[in-house]
Amino acid sequence: MPKSMSQTMHLSILTMVVFSVSAAPVAAGVYAATLYIMRNWAHKGEGVPAAAPAVRESAKTVITWTLTSVILTVFLLIWGLGALAVDSSGASSNPLVVNVTGQQWVWSFQYAGPNGTKVESNDLYLPEGREVVFHVTSLDVTHGFWVPQMGVQIDANEGTFTEIHTTPNKLGTFDVRCTQFCGLNHAYMVTQGHVLTPSAFTTWLNAQPARS
Amino acid sequence: MSIDTHAHHDAHADGGHHEPPEVVDGRQRMSIWLFIGGDALTLAALVFTYLYLRGVNTSGHWMSMLGYPGPQLPGGHSWSYYDANVFNGSNPASPTNVVVGPLSAGLNWLGTAVTAASAGLIWLAERALRVAKNKKAFTTLAALGTIFAFVAILISFHQLSLIPQIYSIHNDSAVMAFTAYGSSMMIIIGSGIVHLILLVFLGIGLTLRSARGAINLENWYQSRLVRMFWVWVAISAVAISALTTTINTIH
Amino acid sequence: MTTTLEHKAPVIKHEGGGLARHQNFLTAMIGGVAGAFIAWAISHHLLDGNVRTTGDAVAVLTGLGWIVGFWFGIGALNAPFAWLIGKDQNRQDQLYYAGEDQGTKRYWKYCTDHKVVGVQYIVMTMVLLGAGGILAMAIRTELIVPGNHFVNQQVYNGFIAVHGMLMILALIVAVAGPWGNFVVPIMCGAKDMAFPRLNALSLWTLVGAAGLLLTTLAVGSLTMGWVVLAPITDQAGVGMDFFALSILVFTVSTTVAGVNTICTVFTMRTKGMTLERLPIMVWGAIIAAALGLYAFPYFSLVEALQILDRTASTSFFVGTGGGTGWLQANLFWLMGHPEVYVILIPAVAALFEIAAVMARKPVFSYRTAVAGMTGLAGLSILVWAHHMFTTGWAPTLGGPFMVTTELISIPTGLFFLVLIGTLWRGNIWMKLPTVWMFGFIANFIIAGITGIYLSDIPIDNQLHGTMFVTAHFHYVFVGSVLFGAIAALAFWYPKVTGRFLDEKLGRISFWLSFIGVQVTFLAMFVSGLRGMPRRYSSYSFIFEHTNFISTMGAYMIMAGMLVLGGAVIYCWNHGEPSGSNPWHANSLEWLVSTPPPLENFDVLPVITEDPYNFEKEMVLS
Repeated sequence: MPKSMSQTMHLSILTMVVFSVSAAPVAAGVYAATLYIMRNWAHKGEGVPAAAPAVRESAKTVITWTLTSVILTVFLLIWGLGALAVDSSGASSNPLVVNVTGQQWVWSFQYAGPNGTKVESNDLYLPEGREVVFHVTSLDVTHGFWVPQMGVQIDANEGTFTEIHTTPNKLGTFDVRCTQFCGLNHAYMVTQGHVLTPSAFTTWLNAQPARS
Repeated sequence: MSIDTHAHHDAHADGGHHEPPEVVDGRQRMSIWLFIGGDALTLAALVFTYLYLRGVNTSGHWMSMLGYPGPQLPGGHSWSYYDANVFNGSNPASPTNVVVGPLSAGLNWLGTAVTAASAGLIWLAERALRVAKNKKAFTTLAALGTIFAFVAILISFHQLSLIPQIYSIHNDSAVMAFTAYGSSMMIIIGSGIVHLILLVFLGIGLTLRSARGAINLENWYQSRLVRMFWVWVAISAVAISALTTTINTIH
Repeated sequence: MTTTLEHKAPVIKHEGGGLARHQNFLTAMIGGVAGAFIAWAISHHLLDGNVRTTGDAVAVLTGLGWIVGFWFGIGALNAPFAWLIGKDQNRQDQLYYAGEDQGTKRYWKYCTDHKVVGVQYIVMTMVLLGAGGILAMAIRTELIVPGNHFVNQQVYNGFIAVHGMLMILALIVAVAGPWGNFVVPIMCGAKDMAFPRLNALSLWTLVGAAGLLLTTLAVGSLTMGWVVLAPITDQAGVGMDFFALSILVFTVSTTVAGVNTICTVFTMRTKGMTLERLPIMVWGAIIAAALGLYAFPYFSLVEALQILDRTASTSFFVGTGGGTGWLQANLFWLMGHPEVYVILIPAVAALFEIAAVMARKPVFSYRTAVAGMTGLAGLSILVWAHHMFTTGWAPTLGGPFMVTTELISIPTGLFFLVLIGTLWRGNIWMKLPTVWMFGFIANFIIAGITGIYLSDIPIDNQLHGTMFVTAHFHYVFVGSVLFGAIAALAFWYPKVTGRFLDEKLGRISFWLSFIGVQVTFLAMFVSGLRGMPRRYSSYSFIFEHTNFISTMGAYMIMAGMLVLGGAVIYCWNHGEPSGSNPWHANSLEWLVSTPPPLENFDVLPVITEDPYNFEKEMVLS
């Protein structure tokens, strides 16, 4: 997996682990049962196998199985809905707003600069520890804005804005990739991002040419 | 490959079916209900499309579009006019936000009324055959119902021609485009036309078949099957007219 | 009753048929091409070449000309027009249409015998799978190393879209087509399907639609995935128009087939064949048919809207006119999710049948099997927006759709219960159908579990649009559905041909395919988890190992499929003779001769019990 650089990604990986741990016994059980069946009851020798004892129904088995799968499903649902709720509660009152624009076949990012100006960038720079809200749109077709290291993904649609947020919690570089097929060079619509310390970020932002 | 050795090779007057007509009819009635069910789902999907686009109202353009009014609108011009004077011409006026109004409710209901009348005639035709045992009346009423359905097609085409177009320039090429409202009305009316064409086909069939004796006092089942579908089309026309004449503009 | 394997029917001069005597696949192709040409010539002349949408309008009308001409050439329009003028078919005509005394020629014609239609569907399935498979190999070959070396991006993007659509089409019909037609009417104790002419119509309409779809490849193709999302479809060439039209045509085929299947099962069961005595396969057929009747109208509507946007400048999906791509996505997935269960349910039902016969005991909890399939079909109507979690469409609906989607794991789990319960303490005959069935079980658990991951929004936010999704649904379609379809083929092949599908070749094919599936798609999960998006024509070097492994696995699958295809063709006339009931089963299709008589039963049987009593072997009196 790409290294985790946000709380969102951390929660996503944790959820994957929980799901894997829950699913593993189910898969193991099915495989074990199947192998057991093949070992014990495969008819050996030539000729037509004789009829096996007919068991048409077993209410106990059906109910137990169904109940188990319901409980497991409900557990996974509670976890998933809980994770969703935790993630949705954008806690910060002063998030960094980044406008993300996708177009065939590049990403561009826009920040609010000092004194009401706007700063454009082709790479995505983010300060560590501060919640960032991405306002995502497209100039042409639908693109998919994805930061693999941060577990955030949302489509960029023409004519409207979509929104997703996260809080980067690790310094370093990350990727921005397009996940929604967008034409000829969809595979090349990749760009870089950097998580900087808050002071380095401010320095970077102030150093950019600003437009009003 | 063994051959069917039964002595059934003589031609029956029962249309070649082994089985009594009531059995075949029961089967065919189930198929008509299934087909009506599928058609009802298509209608639901059309209604969904109409209401969804109106609800979303992307960029406020449910009933408006940036461009120049087409011939159906006051002060509008044809495509060739705009093509010569705006796209390639000199001193073009800037595009404005052209607002369209809802299509004529009267025409909408007229088309539905004619469709309903045609369904009524087909229903009367079936009754004439089945209850009054009057085959000649059946033929006449079926023919009349078919003509009414044909008139409904003409009304529908007229409605289509009145959907306002807007000359819009997009990425260096120009088209006469339709708003989301106009587009939705187009697919709804278009779907109606497809159904009406099918009804005309069925109506011609009923008329010709009864004239030639393939539908008669003993063998009336097909008239019922057709009536069932015909009445469904009329019901869906009423439902759609009720929706589109009451829920259209956004306030 | 003697069974003969040689199809040497005496040639008797037949009187019926009329125009149909001269109509076959060749005249259909001629009619189609002629119709297309005439439509093209007329529309090309009448429409203004300066308007941007004219090219698309001409393409649509040309395609319409093709399908009408094709229908005319194959004889599909004979009956409607004969009906119109009051001239009905007599018994002679009926028998001619049923293929009486025409030998193998009837397989090239508009034949109403459901057994002929079943064989024609086997051929169509293999053609579609073969065409899709060639594209799959091209795709994996391109992805063997990073960079575009084999084909350029444009061509590659076209390949993945058409591969997707061809395979979806192939799998929709893979079990329901051959076996829903050949076997299900006999299982019910019927002489044919409820509407034999509609049966032939559904098959030949599929052929016509496939023709349009294959033409797409030749005219610039689709280049935006088979999901053809708006607004990128705006940038597509005329391949998109052929695609959209092929879907409209295909919906006719599938609607007609669905109505036919349901009416057959509900009105043509023989005396004593109550719903509870039906072989479980029949339940799968009608549940899938009903679900298809619900789902496919959405597909034809959304493609009609795409056609209008492209030819009439409407604004369904165009933002500047008040439309939205989300409408397309919603309509598409309203069809798209139920549709995967239309694909899955017949395969599962066939496997239930195979498990019972091969384990020599009844289907375990027949009612659970029916309830599971019905519950799955019903729930599938409520889950569609899980394909749209990351579109930003309706964030508040994320939770509800997560709930409905995860609930689907419950009926799906019941399938494992029925299969394992049927096999448990059985006396299992390890023949070819059994082997593929075990392969299904192993693959389907992975398919199901990985689906649950994707149904969870925090996980989906990471994995949507990556190769993880691609691996998941290939485990469903290749690992599960295809394995089920091949099990069904191996199972009923002797009933169609009177010969076994060769055990040895079948097992070679199985192991190549099974191992190939694990290698290809497990590596693909890793590609996705590492961060590789899907529909990529090239990729970063960090994904090169897993892609190389996936490609090697794909070549293994190809080898397995080639062996299987060769076996199917070779054993048709040269395989080991099987007799008419090689599996000693008790459902009606095994009790009639091989091949079955023209109208299946000389005397309709009376049923007194379900077909799962293996203590005795039933015979038709």
